Amino acid sequence: MMMESPSLAHMASQNMDPAAAGASAAAALKGNESENNMTKGSVSKRLQQELMTLMMSGDKGISAFPESDNLFKWVGTIDGAQGTVYEGLRYRLSFDFPAGYPYQAPRVRFVTPCFHPNVDDQGFICLDILKDKWSALYDVRSILLSIQSLLGEPNNESPLNTTAAEMWDNQDAFKTHLHATFQK
Amino acid sequence: MEEMMEDSESVEMSGPEPVQGVAAAWDSVSAALVSPGFSVSDQNLVDGLALLCRRGLAPLLGVWLLETLQMRLSSSVVPEFWCGLKQPENELEERGRAWVLLTAFRTLLDRLEPFLSGLEKLGAWQQEGRCGLSGPGPKGLKEQAFTTIRALLLFSPSPVLQERVLEFYSRTFSVYMKQEGNAEDGAEAPDGSEGGACPGCGVPLHQCWCLEALEQLQQLSHILSKLQLLDWVSSEAVTSILHKLIEQRMEQHCRGEYERSFLLNFQEWLELVLGWLGKVFACEGSGDGPAPASLASPVMKQWRCHMHQFFCRIYVNMRIEELFSIIRDFPESKAAIEDLKFCLERTNQRQQLLTSLKSAFESRLLHPGVHTSDILTVYISAIKALRELDPSMVILQVACQPIRKYLRTREDTVRQIVAGLTGDAEGCTDLASELSRGDPVTLEMQDSDDEGTDPEDWTPDPTDAVPDKLGSKRRSSDIISLLVSIYGSKDIFIDEYRGVLADRLLQQLNYNTAREIRNVELLKLRFGESHMHYCEVMLKDMADSRRINGNIREEESRLSEDEQPPLPLSAIILSSEFWPTLKEEKLELPPVVCRAMEAYTHRYEKLKAMRTLSWKPHLGSVILDVELEDRILTNLTVSPIQAAIILHFQDKSSWTLEELSGKLGAPKELVHRKLALWQQQGVLREEAGGRYYVVEMGSSMEKLERGGMLIDSDEERDSNTTTQSEQREEKLQLFWAYIQAMLTNLDSMTLDRIHSMLRIFVATGPVVTEMDISELEAFLQKKVREQQLLMSAGVYRLPKPT
Repeated sequence: MMMESPSLAHMASQNMDPAAAGASAAAALKGNESENNMTKGSVSKRLQQELMTLMMSGDKGISAFPESDNLFKWVGTIDGAQGTVYEGLRYRLSFDFPAGYPYQAPRVRFVTPCFHPNVDDQGFICLDILKDKWSALYDVRSILLSIQSLLGEPNNESPLNTTAAEMWDNQDAFKTHLHATFQK
Repeated sequence: MEEMMEDSESVEMSGPEPVQGVAAAWDSVSAALVSPGFSVSDQNLVDGLALLCRRGLAPLLGVWLLETLQMRLSSSVVPEFWCGLKQPENELEERGRAWVLLTAFRTLLDRLEPFLSGLEKLGAWQQEGRCGLSGPGPKGLKEQAFTTIRALLLFSPSPVLQERVLEFYSRTFSVYMKQEGNAEDGAEAPDGSEGGACPGCGVPLHQCWCLEALEQLQQLSHILSKLQLLDWVSSEAVTSILHKLIEQRMEQHCRGEYERSFLLNFQEWLELVLGWLGKVFACEGSGDGPAPASLASPVMKQWRCHMHQFFCRIYVNMRIEELFSIIRDFPESKAAIEDLKFCLERTNQRQQLLTSLKSAFESRLLHPGVHTSDILTVYISAIKALRELDPSMVILQVACQPIRKYLRTREDTVRQIVAGLTGDAEGCTDLASELSRGDPVTLEMQDSDDEGTDPEDWTPDPTDAVPDKLGSKRRSSDIISLLVSIYGSKDIFIDEYRGVLADRLLQQLNYNTAREIRNVELLKLRFGESHMHYCEVMLKDMADSRRINGNIREEESRLSEDEQPPLPLSAIILSSEFWPTLKEEKLELPPVVCRAMEAYTHRYEKLKAMRTLSWKPHLGSVILDVELEDRILTNLTVSPIQAAIILHFQDKSSWTLEELSGKLGAPKELVHRKLALWQQQGVLREEAGGRYYVVEMGSSMEKLERGGMLIDSDEERDSNTTTQSEQREEKLQLFWAYIQAMLTNLDSMTLDRIHSMLRIFVATGPVVTEMDISELEAFLQKKVREQQLLMSAGVYRLPKPT
């Protein structure tokens, strides 16, 4: 059998949206001028987009949403991962986005008291990606996932809560203490 | 009576003159009064009267006369009248019955005449003040007499009187109309010539009594007016005759006939009828010959008003009944709408019209058996017709509410409207022409807040207007705005249009966009530039693709023979952000095609730095020739997957379904369906064990049989984009994700809060449109029923995680 194809037409999509590309380039240029309204607008747009991504992702055990009509303050929720001592516990967090977001990291804090080697009694978290390792490529979803995994795998090298860090090796005792002191 | 006795007693006591004299005087005077034939010499009468006056008895004369009239009426006259009306021997024929009726009234008049003339005479004396006589005068006395007559005669009228009068008037009416109106209108008596019957009196011509009937009418009117019974006896009959006749005439002439105006015609006819009324209500003219009532007389004026009122009312009633058909036939039925408008302004029947029209819509239009495009067609007609009927648009707004509500529940409404707008719909060309008609100036006027109209011209809304925020000025009658506002948002239409546009652009392969550009330009005038931005980008993509393709082709043509790409490939390059979501299907194309695509991509990347292509292998179309041992199939246009299938048979002449499915990366069911085309073409056949073989030697018989069958039965003319209901489902799914997230983080929220949060935070991408609060509530309630949500004390929360 012989076959010939005189014309073969196909469709393709450009993988980049020129308008969106232009917009993010503009945002990159203006990243430093935090008071700029244009920047504020594009930060809102980015946050809105992140919210959408988060909504569409359908991840179990993590969630976040703006606490009011202010898009720059969110409330987050993390369920302790299965198989860890935190299983069955639910933690509230607060997200505070600076005007320079995403070039500056958001301020993230536990609202629910959290007994954990890397979380202090104010709820502040010692996590590299929220500090020097922050990158504009991270987003709310990746922060939530990182914190969720941090719960199960603390960095005991530089603890904020030394009691917790010392207790960590004895998982049973840790768990008993954790659940006894857990308060919503 | 009592009083009179006392009086006469006292009179008798007091007077010195002989009682004998007084009695004689009374007799002579009273006799002179009641019997015109009785001759009393004038002197005698004057003496008698003077004597009675002197004795103070004169005022009793009037009282006595009326009293006697009353006695006579109740004892003999009234029974006689009713008996006279019922004469079975003379009632067989209509003519006889008319005679009986007239005779009865004639007798009545004869009986009462003496009293009436007596009263007249007495009244005249009183007026003259003869012998010091005084009293109410002839008018007053007769007034009293007439009251008595009416009271006694009509206290318990037998229905036979009404019947007879009605019959008689009807007859004289048709006689009259025959005489006056035969020139004007021959259809008055449809069976006129048949059997030689007179169209007027309805009997054979040689027995015609038309003239007699008119004569009798004149007499009857005369008698009745003399007795002042005209109003009482005739009005009811005349009213019902007029009603019946107008109704009849309307049934004959107007029912089902919407293309002519009937107002003038009826006006003329009513003038004719008025002539007949003039005869019925003949007033007592000069002398004894009754003259037809002049049209200027108050009675006639009143009747004219009544008649017009009847006409309007009956007309409105009929048209209300027919309104649905009238609307359906618009604009052919414009005349009927204008007539109805005229009449409706004169009757108070808007409410009736609304109720009836609404229920007509519901029973005839808004049920599952009617195609959406038909509903839209009727709705468009209704808009056009009702804005003629009621420029305030209130009727339009109220009556069409059910249609709008219903259309909202139809899934294909938007698609139909958009199809109508782009001129794709069968039979529904109104919208396309409406779209091209709209010039931006008038549209802006409609949208702008400050109308250029003079405040003096302002008219208040009709009372049945639905109070709304917009007010009458903003009540739109623009067809497209009304249709688009069915959903309360234009986004949904623009999205749908985008889908349609995408389909149209993707289905053709020659980059021809002239018609689409025109449509988009027109829609831009409607919806504004910003809303049509996506569509513009889509059109620009087409133009760009054509250019890029040209460039790449040119570049390829400069290559040496062996560097030429294996297949000539053209691509349509879409900016994915701006196009509707395309259907995703997995398909792995044969290597030769992939190589061609890679080469194309490579050239594209060179042409456009920093860009690359991501292919949609399942979309598009392939034109190919199939060469078999004994035949060649040329210029087949098939889908990529079909081409891919047959391409695989080039390397290996038999495949199982599993193998093909594995090679193509497509589900077996799909491959199976797509194989059907090649089986139909006689290129492949299926054999036992689910293997497909190439049929290299098609028998000539089979070929003949299949020669013309190039139709791809399997090619479902699917849209390449997702449908409206899929989008809706997607939208609800997205909303639910947001709602779950907000309740997870913020614990509990009220309906309003959820609604406003959704409005703020759901990105207004092209797919997502707003959800109104009642829709949201229904959705949340559904989730509550499904136990995915808890609701108490007005706040919603998620159930505790398990």
